[in-house]
Amino acid sequence: MNLNILFDGLSLGAIYALIALGYTMVYGIAKMLNFAHGDIIMVGAYTVLCMLNLMGSPIVALVAAIVLCTAMGILIEKIAYKPLRGASPLAVLITAIGVSYFLQGLAQLIFGSASRQVSHLYLGTFKLGAMEINVGTVVTLVVGGILMVALTLFVKKTRTGRAMLAVSEDRGAAQLMGVNVNRIIMITFAIGSALAAFAGLFYLMSIPSVNPTLGAMPGIKAFTAAVIGGIGSIPGAMLGGILLGMVENICKSIPVVSDYTTAIEFGLLIVILLVRPIGILGKKRREKV
Amino acid sequence: MEYFRNIKESFKLKHYTNYIAVAAALVLFIVLGSLGALGRSDLVLLHRIAYSIVLAVSLNLVVGFLGELSLGHAGFMCVGAYIGCYFAIGISDKVGSPLLVMILSMIVGGLVAAVFGLIIGLPALRLKGDYLAIVTLAFGEIVRNVFKNLKLFGGAMGMQTYKISYDQKTLYIVSFLVVLAVLFLVQNLIRSKHGRAITAIRDNEIAARAMGIGVTYYKLFVFVVAAFFAGVAGVMYGHQVSLITQDTFSYNYSIEILVMVVLGGMGSISGSIVAATLITYINFVLQNQLSGDLAALKLLIYAVILVLVVVFSNAPALKPLRERFNFKALLRKITKAHKKPGNISDDEAEWNRVESKIKMDELLSVDFQNSKAYTPDKKSKKEGK
Amino acid sequence: MNTTFKRGFAILLAALMLVGTVCLSACGGKTGNDTYYIGATGPLTGDAADYGIAVNNGAMLAIEEINAAGGLNGVLFHYEMKDDKATAADATIGYNALMDAGMQISIGSVTSGSCEAFAAEAVKDNLFFMTPSASAANVIADRANAFRVCFGDPDQGILAAQALAANYEKIGAIYDTSDPYSYGIYEAFEAEMSKLGKAYEVKTFDKDNNKDFSAQVEALKECEVIFLPFYYTEAGLVAKKCAEKGCTADLYGCDGLDGIAGQIDESVTNHIKYITPFDVNATDEKTANFVKKYREVYGKDPSQFAADGYDAIYVIFEAMKAAGVDDVNISASDLCQKVVAAITAESFQYVGTTGTMTWDVSGAATKVPVIVELQ
Repeated sequence: MNLNILFDGLSLGAIYALIALGYTMVYGIAKMLNFAHGDIIMVGAYTVLCMLNLMGSPIVALVAAIVLCTAMGILIEKIAYKPLRGASPLAVLITAIGVSYFLQGLAQLIFGSASRQVSHLYLGTFKLGAMEINVGTVVTLVVGGILMVALTLFVKKTRTGRAMLAVSEDRGAAQLMGVNVNRIIMITFAIGSALAAFAGLFYLMSIPSVNPTLGAMPGIKAFTAAVIGGIGSIPGAMLGGILLGMVENICKSIPVVSDYTTAIEFGLLIVILLVRPIGILGKKRREKV
Repeated sequence: MEYFRNIKESFKLKHYTNYIAVAAALVLFIVLGSLGALGRSDLVLLHRIAYSIVLAVSLNLVVGFLGELSLGHAGFMCVGAYIGCYFAIGISDKVGSPLLVMILSMIVGGLVAAVFGLIIGLPALRLKGDYLAIVTLAFGEIVRNVFKNLKLFGGAMGMQTYKISYDQKTLYIVSFLVVLAVLFLVQNLIRSKHGRAITAIRDNEIAARAMGIGVTYYKLFVFVVAAFFAGVAGVMYGHQVSLITQDTFSYNYSIEILVMVVLGGMGSISGSIVAATLITYINFVLQNQLSGDLAALKLLIYAVILVLVVVFSNAPALKPLRERFNFKALLRKITKAHKKPGNISDDEAEWNRVESKIKMDELLSVDFQNSKAYTPDKKSKKEGK
Repeated sequence: MNTTFKRGFAILLAALMLVGTVCLSACGGKTGNDTYYIGATGPLTGDAADYGIAVNNGAMLAIEEINAAGGLNGVLFHYEMKDDKATAADATIGYNALMDAGMQISIGSVTSGSCEAFAAEAVKDNLFFMTPSASAANVIADRANAFRVCFGDPDQGILAAQALAANYEKIGAIYDTSDPYSYGIYEAFEAEMSKLGKAYEVKTFDKDNNKDFSAQVEALKECEVIFLPFYYTEAGLVAKKCAEKGCTADLYGCDGLDGIAGQIDESVTNHIKYITPFDVNATDEKTANFVKKYREVYGKDPSQFAADGYDAIYVIFEAMKAAGVDDVNISASDLCQKVVAAITAESFQYVGTTGTMTWDVSGAATKVPVIVELQ
């Protein structure tokens, strides 16, 4: 096995992991499948593209993307999801889909449907033994790791984080304990969207092209990764993402098998869920009458 | 005499409204068609509405009546379309009548899809909520991916079906008749003891099991039946288009069917019919009216309609508004004069729409315990601790 | 929402549908025909929208020019493209809507899959169409009414195989297993390569995995040339991945590769060659004029898709002129008969932005392919 292929898989996996992190956060706390998450990444990617063309600095672009995505996340939550709090989650699922379509349509209207290439994000490579290592991948992995640790610490150690845990465990009880549920959910969306901005930048580092449907497939794949890792679990999202990225890249490098890459990835999900219905690192919950 | 009176008493008009509405629409369109008032694209639209209804009604069986979220309905349709139409192309030389070819291929396509329904029903026994949703989505994508690679069905080039493509002028009549048949089967299923067992599983699986209902059997049964009808819809689809390609059946299409079911109301057959018609119609109008440069607006308009409708019809804060302005209130106003107070209780044994006794979040959440206390400002029913 | 409401709604719906459909057929009905109606379908939204929009832009430019010059004997042309999202089902709907609106002649669909559906319908009505870019072999096969401007997929595959086998030793190829265009070229390429007895290495991808090409480029890194029979969006990503991984192989593509210049930056140093009938830098009057106008109107360089769309409209115009069509109310079938006769005549030759073309009854354009190297 070519080591480079494994490493490229790691790089792809790191991106899936970052997206999955956002999915898992929102799911764990707001208990909803945010189908629009992938499209927030697309918004982030377009912001990065515009800022790069304007300013030329990836850091400025990242900051701008974080600000815009966070604002967008909060806005979407306020307009589309908050009025439905207390309604059937399926209704929320459908609005999330509506929001996803809306963002795609908007991007197409503003930027056109053509793919746009992104320059100046390539950081070069260095050699490590037989492996050719992309600096961008290392950055993605390191930042992904830092974000995961920071997020875990945030959730475990800060007041807001513990309030999030409380809301995720039992919304009603948290409310009774004086937690402002609406505010916590808003913060969750803000964090999830900021993570999407990171994902947007790192996505462009490895795949330097933007189009309005950029977020759709990575979104679904990352959701798959989050479920494989155990949805709601932060390390699980990381693990699932990296696993899925590796599997995808290995499949793509083998002839004939590569035609069935998508089937194998989703097949992996089904197999894992059949063996362990809560995902690899998911928490077991007992059903009571 | 007694016998006839019994029949007369057991005959309830409301059990037949769906048939009457669909049949009336069909008659109307046949008349219009013979007068030449229907354009060619209208015929295509009518056919599209027909198979959308079949898809929505069958998905409603799974989502609305069984209470399991499925995002892989297009996968069954894909199986039905490919297998059924492959079969139809094979027999079209030997069987003279195109109608017979179509019916036979629907049965074959439906049966093969039903086998897949059985396969995907198995994980449904073990998984719940979002986990099942993502597994069904995965299943749909796997099916698509496999058909993409099968040379037998044309691979990437798609499968050409113009050989069996049906005369558009009569195709919609056939498909509306199929809709009637599907409605007949589904409504009778729902109103039978099996239907009650299915809704019992949805409302409380453990209690249903305790009552001696074969949960395993019924779950698989529903998945198989829904897959069968989705396969039939796939064959209907294949008889209209001249080329079947796998990318039609992506998860986006499954989601569109789910949107029809949710907007129509979970567990409401009439609702599915209405929503399937309206959504297909809206998409069709948007596609046809917004040509050229305006096409980019299509997605935006659809998205805005979707979000507004869902927020309006579901937001708890808008409940008073909904109660004031809806068709029910309107109808009540119109029919007020004729209503005798004593007759109201008639509405009770209504199997057409079986109200869910659980909050639908249990459908999406793995954890029954937590979801009981879903809304902070409502009183929790949970006892103890 | 209860049943009473539902029932009322269902009945209301029937009424609404009635009004809607009658309105549709009434409002969208024939326009009294003071113009010739050219219809088309193509992806104006979705992932393939870039190509559909380019064709649409090119076609609109041609229509404007023709109409500005007084049309055909004073009768102007009306042109409309319906969105088909590159799917067969929507192409069928688009086709029927166009027929309702009075389409007399067409430039078919932009992508091969939709054009197949379009053609299957059009053959029943005997409607002439000249597709700008649907290159799959089966689109025009056995259809007397079907013609195309672009090269056919098999021809390009064979041509590429011969060119690569003659010039390179270590050959690699990547193709899209979910795309009729890519798959069609590759099939012919594969057959020709085995006929030539030349070994090569092949990698695949599909629509769900068309962004990350690291695995494919990694595997083909050592090749002298990589054959890329797919569209420029993905090819641009392959080229960039090559630059990133230090792969210096030549990149060799087909007509879909035109437009790759907009997808890559200076980091890509590989030689990029492709078979194309259209060169944006060409100096002949027709092309130069088209490129200049296109830049003025749309603010960017035309791709080959735009040029194909432009040519398709002009071919129809020239053919109608040659056929001496003078009745604005001519039916699609009659028009088809006249135009086919005119276009397949020995004397008919069209000089356009994508080369000099003639047609025979097969519907394929005979023109000289040029291999262009991107500078």
